[in-house]
Formats: sequence, structure tokens, C-alpha cells
Amino acid sequence: MRLLNRLALHLATLVAVVLAGGFLAAALVRYSPGFDSIPEDLNTALSPETLQALHARYNRENSLPRFYVRYLGGALRGDFGVSQSFGQPVALLLRQRAPATGRLVIWGTLGGWTLAALLAWTAVWLRRSVLTAAAASVSGLLLAIPPAVLALAFFFYQAPLGLALSLGLLPRLFGTLRAILEECHASPALLAARARGIGPLRIGVCYVAGAAAPQLLALLGIAIVLAFGLAIPIETLCGVPGMGALTVQAATARDMPLLCALALMITFLVTFVHAAGDLAAGDERA
Amino acid sequence: MKFTCALLLTALVLFLVSPAELSAAELHFSLAGDPQTFDALKVSDQRSELIRYLTGGALVRINRVTDKPEPALAQSWKLSDGGRTITFRLRAGLRFSDGSPLTADDVARTFSAALDPKHEAPVGDTFRSQQGDPQVRVISPLEIAIHYPQPKPDIDRLFDSLSIVPATAAPLPASAGPFFVAEYKPGDFVRLARNPNYWKRDAAGKQLPYLDSIRIDIQPNREIELTRFLRGELHLINKLDPENFDRIIKDKPAAARDLGASLDSEILFFNQAPSPSVPVWKHQWFTSAIFRRAVSASIHRDDIARVVFRGHAHPAAGPVSSSNRFWFDAGLKSPPPDPQAAVRDLAKEGFTLRDNVLRDREGHPVEFSLLTTSGSRPREAMAAMVQDDLRKIGVHVNIVTLDSRSLIDRLSNTPKFEACLFGFANVSVDPVQEMNIWLSSRPQHPWWPSEKSPATPWEARVDKLELLQASEPSRAARKKAFDEFQRIVVEQAPILYLVNPDYLVGISTSLKGLQASTSPPQLLWNIDSLSLE
Amino acid sequence: MRIAAVIVLLAVLLAGLFAPAIAPYDYSRQFRDSPNAPASSQFPMGTDDLGRDRLSRLIYATRISVLLAPAAAFVSVMIALLLSAVTATRRLWVEHSFSALTTLSLSLPWIFLFIILRALLPLNTGAIPSILITFGLMGVAGWAWPGRVFTASIRQMKKSGWLLQARAAGVPPWRIARIWAWPRLRALAAAQFRILIPAYVLSEASLGLLGFGVAEPLPSWGNLLAELQHPARVRDNPWILAPLGLLMLVMIALEALQPSRDSRQLPGAAS
Repeated sequence: MRLLNRLALHLATLVAVVLAGGFLAAALVRYSPGFDSIPEDLNTALSPETLQALHARYNRENSLPRFYVRYLGGALRGDFGVSQSFGQPVALLLRQRAPATGRLVIWGTLGGWTLAALLAWTAVWLRRSVLTAAAASVSGLLLAIPPAVLALAFFFYQAPLGLALSLGLLPRLFGTLRAILEECHASPALLAARARGIGPLRIGVCYVAGAAAPQLLALLGIAIVLAFGLAIPIETLCGVPGMGALTVQAATARDMPLLCALALMITFLVTFVHAAGDLAAGDERA
Repeated sequence: MKFTCALLLTALVLFLVSPAELSAAELHFSLAGDPQTFDALKVSDQRSELIRYLTGGALVRINRVTDKPEPALAQSWKLSDGGRTITFRLRAGLRFSDGSPLTADDVARTFSAALDPKHEAPVGDTFRSQQGDPQVRVISPLEIAIHYPQPKPDIDRLFDSLSIVPATAAPLPASAGPFFVAEYKPGDFVRLARNPNYWKRDAAGKQLPYLDSIRIDIQPNREIELTRFLRGELHLINKLDPENFDRIIKDKPAAARDLGASLDSEILFFNQAPSPSVPVWKHQWFTSAIFRRAVSASIHRDDIARVVFRGHAHPAAGPVSSSNRFWFDAGLKSPPPDPQAAVRDLAKEGFTLRDNVLRDREGHPVEFSLLTTSGSRPREAMAAMVQDDLRKIGVHVNIVTLDSRSLIDRLSNTPKFEACLFGFANVSVDPVQEMNIWLSSRPQHPWWPSEKSPATPWEARVDKLELLQASEPSRAARKKAFDEFQRIVVEQAPILYLVNPDYLVGISTSLKGLQASTSPPQLLWNIDSLSLE
Repeated sequence: MRIAAVIVLLAVLLAGLFAPAIAPYDYSRQFRDSPNAPASSQFPMGTDDLGRDRLSRLIYATRISVLLAPAAAFVSVMIALLLSAVTATRRLWVEHSFSALTTLSLSLPWIFLFIILRALLPLNTGAIPSILITFGLMGVAGWAWPGRVFTASIRQMKKSGWLLQARAAGVPPWRIARIWAWPRLRALAAAQFRILIPAYVLSEASLGLLGFGVAEPLPSWGNLLAELQHPARVRDNPWILAPLGLLMLVMIALEALQPSRDSRQLPGAAS
């Protein structure tokens, strides 16, 4: 019953946050400068009448609440409107672009998580100052390099972009993972396990993973969201036809239907990941 | 045993025949973004315009090298009635790419749709006239006449921009040009396939185009585009910035081509419209021709051409590029920089330079913001140079870079800016296409959009001279009027013309038949005659 | 290692503070006859595309980035700590609300908020106010990432044995927070602080595209690092990598200054 209550609460939160996120994103777009402008405003070949007609064609919805309610109604039927910058149904655009981003994000997250965990484990477990310093240096080095520039270098040397995203994610996870592992390392249960001669692999699986599971899960959720955030400049700079590049183009063009769909999607993804992490953490009350 | 040998032989053949040779007749290049539409009547952006040109069948095609109109779908035409009527005779047996016939009825339908306000066709503006819309009359399946109330200058040339469209609309429409749109993946590529029903043949009687297809990748990153060109994955690369052009010179010198000064201009203008965001004293500066000319005289155009454009630009003399040989007023020269003269002239208006700060007669330090587009290094660099030049006469400039939509918002409707560094990309040599910049009532009038009436006598004179461009049939008379217009613009300096950048391109040596021009589409205007080695 | 790290950070800080005395030229001075010049005795790191001395610009850029990026990171971490501290209450709805708030904050396209704010600011906003507003905004907008991490840690602490014991013993909440919770959160906060610094250095350059940030001719590490998007320039003039090297050095130094867990006494660790 308690589980059902928690599920219901998380579901309600999910719906509320997604709706609020979509509306706020629409509001930010609607009231940003340039929303009422179109690129053709500077086209010197067009007459005032044609410009007016083009503005009307873009059909800017002036009433935000009305637009949003109508948009949500369509979204529930799978119709996310027509992109003003691409002239294509938004649903079609998302379907076409999702696989490229999905591949990049999944491989990037898995790779980044694994590498960060290995590096953090090396720094914490082996307790050699040289290794600790090396791990810190690698993390510092990777933090300083803009991920998009790293990806561009990978692109030019025809290396996989997913690896670039992993390396971009690594330092962003390393510090926190290291702190979590250090706390576990100093815990009495782990000290007792080590005193009993239990090996590092078993300790890692049975003691560390279990004890730190909620924090690790929360960090995984953040990693996925971070990976998506990193994917945006990587896709844009490297010309990958994914959703990250779509987001940038939609933002530049103030493409409301497309941006609303992306906002709803991103809010759903972030909320879902966080809710999953919270549920896995178990009962919040002590 | 025999089967194994055949398999090995096949594998060997496939291995030896590289992918490049298998698709040897496919031209490959990139665009920085997706085309907005494939409907020829709805085209309003440059990418869609390129696709329209490559696929659309027009009655007339202008040879971009000789600048003369040549027969296309129309095998001939004649002007009559004092230049008011043009009668076209179509070629026999014309068909769209889907096999449907193309007759005078299709031309009439397309032309009427272009002018019909319901269709909101931007191309219609090219054919409208101040005195009323033209009338269309189908004389026979191969003959059509179009009659204007008043003579329209260079009427035949206008039909280069009108592609005849089929009766049935489709997401990837059929076309009467050398290619048709065969495949489109948003954000990825557009593929154009050869039109099997194209009307044109070469001198040997072979049907054109020579190319089997064109693949246009969508690639916003110009570094990646350049890398792919240098690797041989792309056959041409258009409108390069000077830095990337120098890279091609270094890595693949045979592929680098500087076509000379383009029709484009880099400009600076001030907001002369009364605006709550511009203080009254700044408005007085900006509306003073002496102030504008002094700013112009302080800017080192030759440095901009040499440093920002690495020598691939020409200091601008006025509103027309020197490459536009017929319309350019050869008597105009690019003003040499003379900051001392600028300060002397400003003194006549009550400005004083003290402690390296220029102040107006009321003591306000001369300072203004200079808007420009973000993401364009040449423009940001130009802004920095202008800032440095004006600092030497005591003027403080704040550079503000904005994304394109925010910039458009500030420039159009109610202008909310002080000064702007921008660029004009001219798509035609004929100045009548830029009329909307100079007519004071137009929303595209840069320094005062949609002026209710000309604020000064010289603006009223400019309005008259521009309207004459649209109505005077004699080219010589138009030229004379246009020369006067150019001199007024230089004298009053509502727009400061800085440089005309060169048109820099990269062309693969395997691409044959290309005759580059500075008129758009610069490299592909004779697409049906291009071939790949 | 720690001494070396302190020396590095001090050197960078002093270079930034005393830039006008150390830099060979003014950061905006254009040597128009020497654009894109290679390294030489006159220009030890060469010049940029406008003939400006790269070394001088790097020194001046340090002043902005080394002071303001850490300040913005500090603001983000402090806001995250303060807001996530409310989840230490035992009320479920408080924690859910905070979780929803972080999710919303992470999902929204903040770029439009920046665009709107830029439109509201006068175009002639001075360099210093513009830079301060930029980094301030980044600091305020960037709290959600660390907030999420802190919340998970606080949730874990609420279930732990030592906290139960402390509460059963009647230890007041403020004392629990100060003596037990804060040392644990401090390591996480330090990690997030270090992660955010280069993110803000780079974000400042991106905000320049929206009209915020450090405008020409002022240099910052962010706008110097933006040149890395042109690999050919790096090949022709490797000194373009200098800001990256400096940033790496600072990050490694910060990492080295993190106190090791072994040297700390963790109250309650033995319980």
C-alpha cells in the first residue's frame, strides 16, 4: 500500500512538473525578443503586404494559455504541431532525430559512468598518492576542455563521438563518485569487511553498491540529464542530425511548437529519471 | 570451384571500383541549414531559392556571365505595346519530371498564383507594379501574353525567378527544371535526381543534365564542411570566409577561386527614427550628415579589407559593388581615412575633443552602442576595428552581439538600437530589387523603418529616383538616375558602406563546365552543363 | 603537491590582479601590420586575427575568469546547500516539492531567460555591470545540479544509524548539522564547486553569443577558448591552447587542495 501511495505521488508529481515545465518553456519563448520577427523581415525584395502575409502564415499565437491548452490537446493525440522552421510535423522530426541522440547519450553515459567509477575507485581504493594525483589530474584536464571541442577533435580524427561525450561526462561524475566512495570506504561496515579479508570486488558489489545505491542512482539520473546537455553542443558543432542540434535550431528560430515538444520531452525525461532514483532509494522517512 | 572463383572475381571488382566511382555522376555539396520549402511559389529564403533554381523550369534564364537573358522553357519572346506586353512562345513537347505535359495553361496558372494574395507568394512582388497587376492571356497551348498597365523595365529578365509549377501539389513536387527533389531528410540531406523529361540538349544532341543527381548535405558547421571538402567528399564549397579560403589555398591551391568583389556590402548605419531607447542628444548626432560623414572618414576601410578579410575584400565606394559593372558609378571612390579632417568637421557642429573624449556642444561624451550579429567572426572583428578607429577621435563604442532574431527584433518595426553593423547580401545586379531599402515608407528602410514621409529633401529625392527605377523602360535613363542616387547616398551617408567582400569558393578539379559568376547562384547557374570527371 | 597547488593558484590570482603591470601591451591594442603573427620576441605567444598580443590578452583574461567563475560557482553551491537543507525536515511534501523544483530548473531552456534579460538591459550597459550580471545569473541559474546531489546525500543521512542515535540522545538539529552532516556535505560541495568553475568559464563565452558576457575588446578565458572550435588555427598557432593549459593547471591545483578523507576525523564513523 505504501508503495502504491509513493507511486501515485510520484506519478502526480511527474504530470504536474511536465505540464508546468512545458508551460514555462512556452512562456519563455513567447516573451523572448525576436518571437514576433521572422528572417524575411530583412528581405529587401519583399513588399510590405507580402511581409504581413508571411507574418500571418507563421500564425503566432498571441494568447499563451490558449495556445498551450490547444497544444496539449493535440499532444495527447500524438500531434505536436508543425515546426515553423522546418515546415515538417514535429512528431516526424522527433522520430527521425531521436535515434542519433539516443545512441550518443546512451553510449556516452555508460562510458562516462564506467570510466568515472573506475577512476574514482582507483583513487579511493588503492590509496597510492601517485595514483590519486593522476586521477585528479585526468579529471582536471578533462574538466577544462570544452566537451564540444573534444568532440570536434574526435570528429576530425574520425573517432567515436560517444567516447568524446563519455570523456566530457567523466570529470563531472568523478568528483562526486569519489566523495561517495570515500564516505563508504570509511564506514564501519566496510572496515569490518576489509578486516575480515573480503576482496575489493565483493566489497564493491555487496557493500559499496548497496550502501551508496540511492546516491549512485541519483547521480546516474543526473548523468543521463548531463549527457543530454552535453549532446547539444556536440551535435551542433559536429553536425550530428540529432535532437540536440534540433533544440539549438528551434531556439534560434523561436519555433514554438518544436520547442514545446522538446521541453515536454526533456521535462518528462528528467522527472522520470529523478522519480526512478527516488523510488529506488526507498522510503524517504527514517 | 567455379562458383568460388566467380565470387572472388566479383569481390575483386567491387573492391577495385571505389564508392566514389559508383556514384561518380553525383554532385555533392553542403548547405548550412534546411530549405524552408520546396514549393517554388513560397520561397523566401536563400536555401529554398537555390533548390528552386536547380529544380525549377523557368521561361527565361539569365546567363550569369554575359548577364543576358536566354531562352529556356520559352523558345522566344517579343515585347510590344511600348514595353507593356510580353508574349512568350513555349517549346513543343515540354513535360514535368512526372511526365505530365507543360503548356501555356500551366504558365498562366503559375503566374496568376504568384500574384494572388491568397497564395502569399513572395515571388509575386517581382511582378507587381505600382500601377496595378498585369493581365494574363493564353493565346494557344504554346503561346501566352502578359500585359502591364505601364511599361515595366527589363520585364523578360524577371521570368528567371519564376518556376512553372505543376497543377498537383506534393511534398516533393515534380519540376520542369534539370532536377527534381527525390529525397529529403530534415537536418541530414536533400537529394535531387535528374529530370528524365528535361527539355535541353547539348550541341551533340545529348540530353542534359550530365549529372545523375545532386546530394546536398545539411551541415551548419563550416569547419566540418571545409574538412570534408579538403578530403574530397564535397565537390564545392560556397561563400568561404577568408581564413578558410586561405586554408584551401594552402592545402589544395588548384581548388581555391577568388571570384573578385561580390555584390554584397558590409555596412554601418545609425538609428535616425525617434525612439524612446535613444536619448534626444544622440538622435541629434545620428541625424546629422556631418556626424555620419565624420564617422565614415574615421574608419580605415583598407585595414578592414586587409586584416579582417585578409586582402579578400575591396573598400566600398558606395551602395553598389564595383563588380556590378553596368550600375556602378565609376566616378565614386572609396573615401580614404582622415580622422583629423573628421574632427575638424565635427568642430563645425560644436563637437570638441578634449582629453581623448569627444563631446557635443552640450557636453555629452560621444558614446553609442554598435549592434552586430553574433557567431560571425568577420563581423565581430570589423566591429572591434571600428571601435578602435573611433576611439582615436574620442568616440566610445560599446559592441553588443545579438542572435539573429533578437537583432531583427531591434531593427524592424520599432527600432530599438543606436548603431548597427550589418551586411547586405544582394541577389541581383538590378538595383530595382533593393528598392525597399531606399523607399522611406518601407519596413526594410534601415535607418527609419516605415517612415510616414521623407524627413529630408534628399530622402524625398531618393524616393523619386527609386520609383523611377521601377517604371522607366530606358536603361540609359535609369542609369543616369541611379548615378545621381549613388552620389546622394555617398554625400548624405545614411548608410556607411565599408567593404565589398570577395566571393571566395572552393571548386573540386573534377568538376567540369563550371563558369563562376558573382551573381547568385554563383557556381551553379549553369547546373545542367556541369559534369564530373 | 599542496604547496605547489597553492603556489600555482596564487600566481594565477596575482597575475590577474596585477595584469596592467605584467602584460606587455594593452589588451585592445591592435598591431594591424601583424595579424595572426607567430610567436616572436615582440609577441611571445603571437597575435590574434586583429594583431592583438595573445599573452597580454591571456593575462587580462585571467582577471575576469579566475575571480568571477569561482564566485559564480560558489553562489550556485551555496544556493543549492541552503535550498536542499530544507529537505532535512521530516516532511515528505517538502522533499517532493524540492525535487520538483530541481527538475523544473534542470529542464527549462534558460537561454531564453538570458535573451529576455538582455532585451531589458540598456544596450549601453557598461562592461563591469554586464560581466557581473552574467556571472551572477549563471550562479543563480546553476544551483539545480548540485542541489540534486546534496538532496540525495541528505536523504541518505536521514536514514543512517548515527543520526538516529544522535536524535535519540536528544542532540539538537543544529548540532547534528554542524558536527555530523556538514563534514559529509562539504566534500560533495567541494566536488560540485570544482566542476562548476570550468563550466562557467565556458558558459560565459556562450552567453557572449546572446549579447551578455564579456564584450569586445575585453578578453576572457571563455572567449579565448572559443578559438579552439577552429582546429586549423590551433595547428598554425599552438599558443591558442595556452588558456586551456592555464585552466587545466587551476583545476588540477584545486583538486590537489581537496583534503584527503584519511586525514579527517569523521564524527560518528565508529558508531
